[in-house]
Amino acid sequence: MCGRCLELTRRSLLVGGGAAAASLQTGVADARIRPADMTPLIGPGFKPTDRDEQGLWREMDRVEEEVAGSNLLITDPKITGYLKGIIGAVGGPAAKDFRIYLMRIPEFNAMMFPTGFAVVFSGLLLRMRSEAQLAGVIAHEAGHFLRRHMIRSWRDQRRKSDIFSVAAMAAGLGGAGAGVWLGDYVQLAQLGTILSLFSYSREMEAEADAMGIRNMAAAGYDPMEMSNIWQQLIGEEDASARYRRKRRHKGGIFDTHPSSDARMADMKADALELRAPGKTYDNGRQRYLATIGPTRPTLLDDQVKLNDPGASQYLIETLALDGWNGLLRYYEGEVWRLRNRPGDDVRAEQSYAAAVAYPDAPADAWRWHGVSLMKQGRSGEAKAAFTRYLSMKPDAPDAAWVRQMIG
Amino acid sequence: MLKRGMVAALAVSIALGGCVQTRQFADVQFSPPTGDYKLLVLRPDVTVGSLTTGGMVEPRADWTAQARERIIEALRAQQAARGGNLTIVEHRNQLPGVSEQELADIERLNFAVDQSIVDHKYLGDTLPTKRRVGLDWTLGADAVRLGQKTGYDYALFLHAEDEVATGGRIALSVLGIAGCFIGFCAPSSGQQQLDYASLVDLRTGQVVWFNVVTAGSQVAGIKFGDLRTPQGAAQMVDRLLGRMKRGRAVREQQRRGS
Repeated sequence: MCGRCLELTRRSLLVGGGAAAASLQTGVADARIRPADMTPLIGPGFKPTDRDEQGLWREMDRVEEEVAGSNLLITDPKITGYLKGIIGAVGGPAAKDFRIYLMRIPEFNAMMFPTGFAVVFSGLLLRMRSEAQLAGVIAHEAGHFLRRHMIRSWRDQRRKSDIFSVAAMAAGLGGAGAGVWLGDYVQLAQLGTILSLFSYSREMEAEADAMGIRNMAAAGYDPMEMSNIWQQLIGEEDASARYRRKRRHKGGIFDTHPSSDARMADMKADALELRAPGKTYDNGRQRYLATIGPTRPTLLDDQVKLNDPGASQYLIETLALDGWNGLLRYYEGEVWRLRNRPGDDVRAEQSYAAAVAYPDAPADAWRWHGVSLMKQGRSGEAKAAFTRYLSMKPDAPDAAWVRQMIG
Repeated sequence: MLKRGMVAALAVSIALGGCVQTRQFADVQFSPPTGDYKLLVLRPDVTVGSLTTGGMVEPRADWTAQARERIIEALRAQQAARGGNLTIVEHRNQLPGVSEQELADIERLNFAVDQSIVDHKYLGDTLPTKRRVGLDWTLGADAVRLGQKTGYDYALFLHAEDEVATGGRIALSVLGIAGCFIGFCAPSSGQQQLDYASLVDLRTGQVVWFNVVTAGSQVAGIKFGDLRTPQGAAQMVDRLLGRMKRGRAVREQQRRGS
């Protein structure tokens, strides 16, 4: 008889669990955290005093030594100094304690480590359209440190895994003593524990967004740029997914970060609260471009070689919203050439031709323009293009071949 | 009767569940360094953490520092007894004449090579080209250059990680075993120790010797040498580096000679 009643409970349990999971799914867009409620939890020169945090910090010393000595590091003092200046401006009370490293990895990412050093991927520099946008991302990372997220998440995980282990043991022993099987409950509790860890992680991210946008606005940047970053990222992910005939991932219960859509919406609301009425903001675009300018060809080159034409095309078009130039047109051509679908050769040729019309066209644009002219049988013009290429890049690895083409 | 049988089975399983395993490989031409040799120990990587009730390992700075000191003491004592001259580098900028970047490159290369050794010698993914040839890996010219610059004969890379169970974990483990008597057996895993070391001959660049030691118990609270104590550290250093076996060619030669 009891078996029967347990059966019923088990079914109702699963239904209940399903409903709970469904509500979590829709509840992924948790309530917005208001920037005004975010205050830094640490002061300048913070050093851990709790045992668990000291342990975490000690582990990180070795990690930082590894990062600082990595051969992926971009060490151009102009750019690293620039990044350091930005984290100093948006870093709140810990501004002087941060270290920031730039890695040559063509992805949109940045991260903060428990001891206050941040790693920025070069893919971020490619995507940001202004200093304000870059400052927004850095302010978010600084927010993690200011709100002590690493140790708080660790403690959350430790507490929840402790509670789950003890409860599972109690359920097992109690169940065995009373002669009932509670394994289903234990499994549900395990799922619940895991989901709650993910949910906590999303909450920390939302906190860092709110803390970051507050510090960013305090440093004089337009807070609306934070939401623009997410709008750009959504566009890029859409374009990338469309090209692969997939759909963009829109967030779920197993995500560590809130969905891009939620972040965009929340930060738009934040910005409306934080924006000073009537103030005109300088987004620092000129300063930004002047600093990353010499590195931009490398950034674009790394991106187009990722074999993700959907995203690359979107990125180039987004950057071109601030005006086309020879560099962007050349890499637009590269996207088509490397994609190599029917008709892409013509598109690439048009892009190279457009690129060389700009004074800042890179040498390789002249080379590829020359190749396409040669194919069209316009050998005179092709030779002129090749000559231009050689004059710009006399030590090119293919110089001998090009010289032969000129004849 | 049934109960007594279960207790016996349990006792056996606990005895089997906790054990120390070591497995080493050597270059066919390897004979353990003796006499007046110069050994460079590059940034020994030691971590001691506390094993929480829920089974997570929480790094502990004080325990790690303690264990590291004990291990270095034990290592110095052991190598001195063999006649070796030992230098321990704690940071990458401490080796005169060698830049941080060079040392970082060597360490990273060694890490990749060690991983390959573990994959192909320990985890069962054996390579036909590396069968019956002993340990056949090298760090190449970079290691030779390091040897020429610094005058060291060997470089030793050492990694040790250990856990200490919290009261909660021990209680949970005891309950899980006690539960067997009422039909609910749930032994939770106890603390584990993992140590490995690789020895590189800086005159040839070859990785000449590699050893992995694992020690652990199924019951939290039973330890197989606590790295924080001088005895535990000495025991670990002895298990890891105490009985270096000679290479196959050297052994065969000696057998023929005797």
